[in-house]
Amino acid sequence: MIIQTHGIGGSQDLPISPILAIAGAVAALTISFTVLAVAWRKPRYSESVGDPAPRWLARLVDSAGWAIALRVLGLLLFGYLLWVTYLGPDLLTNPAFGMFYVLLWVGLVPVSLAFGPVWKAISPTRTISRGVARLARTDPETGLVGYRVRLGYWPAALGLFAFVWTELVSPRPDELGTIQLWIGVYLAVMLVGGALGGQQFHEHVDPFEVYSTLVSRMSFWGRRHGELVVRSPMANLAMTPVRPGLVAVVAVLFGSTAFDSFKDSPEWLSVTQSSSSPYLLNNLALIGFCLAVGAIFAAGTMATGVGPETRRRDLPGLFAHSVAPIVIGYVVAHYLSFLVIVGQTTLIQMSDPMGNGSNLLGTADWSVNYWLLEHPTLLANTKVLAVVTGHILGVIAAHDRAISLLPKRHQLTGQLPLLFAMVAFTVGGLYLLFAS
Amino acid sequence: MKRLATAITVLLLAAGLAGCGGDSGGDSGSQGNDPIEVTFSGGDVTPKGERVDVSTGTITFDVTADEPGTIHVHSSPEQEISYESGTHSYDVEIDKPGVVEVESHDLDVVIVQLEVK
Repeated sequence: MIIQTHGIGGSQDLPISPILAIAGAVAALTISFTVLAVAWRKPRYSESVGDPAPRWLARLVDSAGWAIALRVLGLLLFGYLLWVTYLGPDLLTNPAFGMFYVLLWVGLVPVSLAFGPVWKAISPTRTISRGVARLARTDPETGLVGYRVRLGYWPAALGLFAFVWTELVSPRPDELGTIQLWIGVYLAVMLVGGALGGQQFHEHVDPFEVYSTLVSRMSFWGRRHGELVVRSPMANLAMTPVRPGLVAVVAVLFGSTAFDSFKDSPEWLSVTQSSSSPYLLNNLALIGFCLAVGAIFAAGTMATGVGPETRRRDLPGLFAHSVAPIVIGYVVAHYLSFLVIVGQTTLIQMSDPMGNGSNLLGTADWSVNYWLLEHPTLLANTKVLAVVTGHILGVIAAHDRAISLLPKRHQLTGQLPLLFAMVAFTVGGLYLLFAS
Repeated sequence: MKRLATAITVLLLAAGLAGCGGDSGGDSGSQGNDPIEVTFSGGDVTPKGERVDVSTGTITFDVTADEPGTIHVHSSPEQEISYESGTHSYDVEIDKPGVVEVESHDLDVVIVQLEVK
């Protein structure tokens, strides 16, 4: 049966059981204070952590051929996406929807966790900008005028918000025209910006790159003076460059995922469906969730005593990396089954994007494996474990930063407000998994 | 460091056990579901967004409508019901647990959310 329009991905996960939610919350709470009480008192995470990667591996990934192969792969995938988006039928059997909302947006997370900053390596817009710079004989790094580093990641936060807004709030996320518009604007901004600001522009503005690179901080792959090293993800995470807008990036990522849970709760549904403008309410709620996350986090980091060499308003940025594991844990919890089920559907659709019976990738006659949906208890346990693990890693990252940053007498008490903020995120997240 | 690792392991195990213990209580009596009544009239529908507990298997919709239309059942995979005007019964099969939204796209409304166990 062909469904004409509307609705990406079938059923949603069952709510987690109250006992599981409470167990997760209690674990998060107790572990947080355990970390505070017994963890190390001297910072452990620095650039010196980690061992050089095996030499053959370093030689391979640093070779020109490898870099070019990844760029070609990126161009091919992106070219395919453009083809089905602009020339494919406006039906939900068009893989454009699954590629855009699922493989790209959600798939970026596990791939970056496993392999490092993947989008940076395959980014088709980086490749095009590089080509343009070569033709125009400008510096590929800085382009014509360079990027104003003072803007930091703010444009990326805006781009990420534009994505989640399109997916969660915009009137017709499941019409091809919506994706066409989004990708068109994205391409235009990236190509013009790339010509003006070079690769620096992509590093700060491309929402997919900023998301992927942030997540890749939790991978085992790092660099030390350019050399490929294998190091603890926690040490990698602590190396995250502190730039303006990083707090906004994590606030959008976490706030929007929480909103996605919230918007399907029966309570919110009854509010929006009995209101005269559900669209306005959803807009306000999405913005509200992102702002609330940012505000709670900023307050949690700033409510501490600081030494004379630290400015209080720099604190949210200095701690922002510690939200990354919380974001990843929550994204796993929220999108795992979506990625597995709709991801498979998309791979199948990608063999026959035009609906003419072709089998381009040899996947056309696969059928979706629903094993994960048939084991709801396992799925629920995995989700809660992901949330709690992300929380613990976030707390540890914040602890390590606090003891390197705060004066001695504030090191313990200064961490408490941030700890409460993180517990609030985790308990709130678990509550939403339970209540929707 | 070692103390921390041990403490965390113990707590995670405790949480895991509590989680497993608590989740085994679902005795889904798969003895048929009560039919769900849906009424379309004058460009509106009842119910509107209610959460309904059902067990996997056949779910019957008793649809009363003043004009024909389509109900979308966002199960995995998706299904749809084309109803006629008047009162008729329609069955769908949902064999996997999950929350399934049942929508009218013409009205842009979620009719019910089936909590399928």
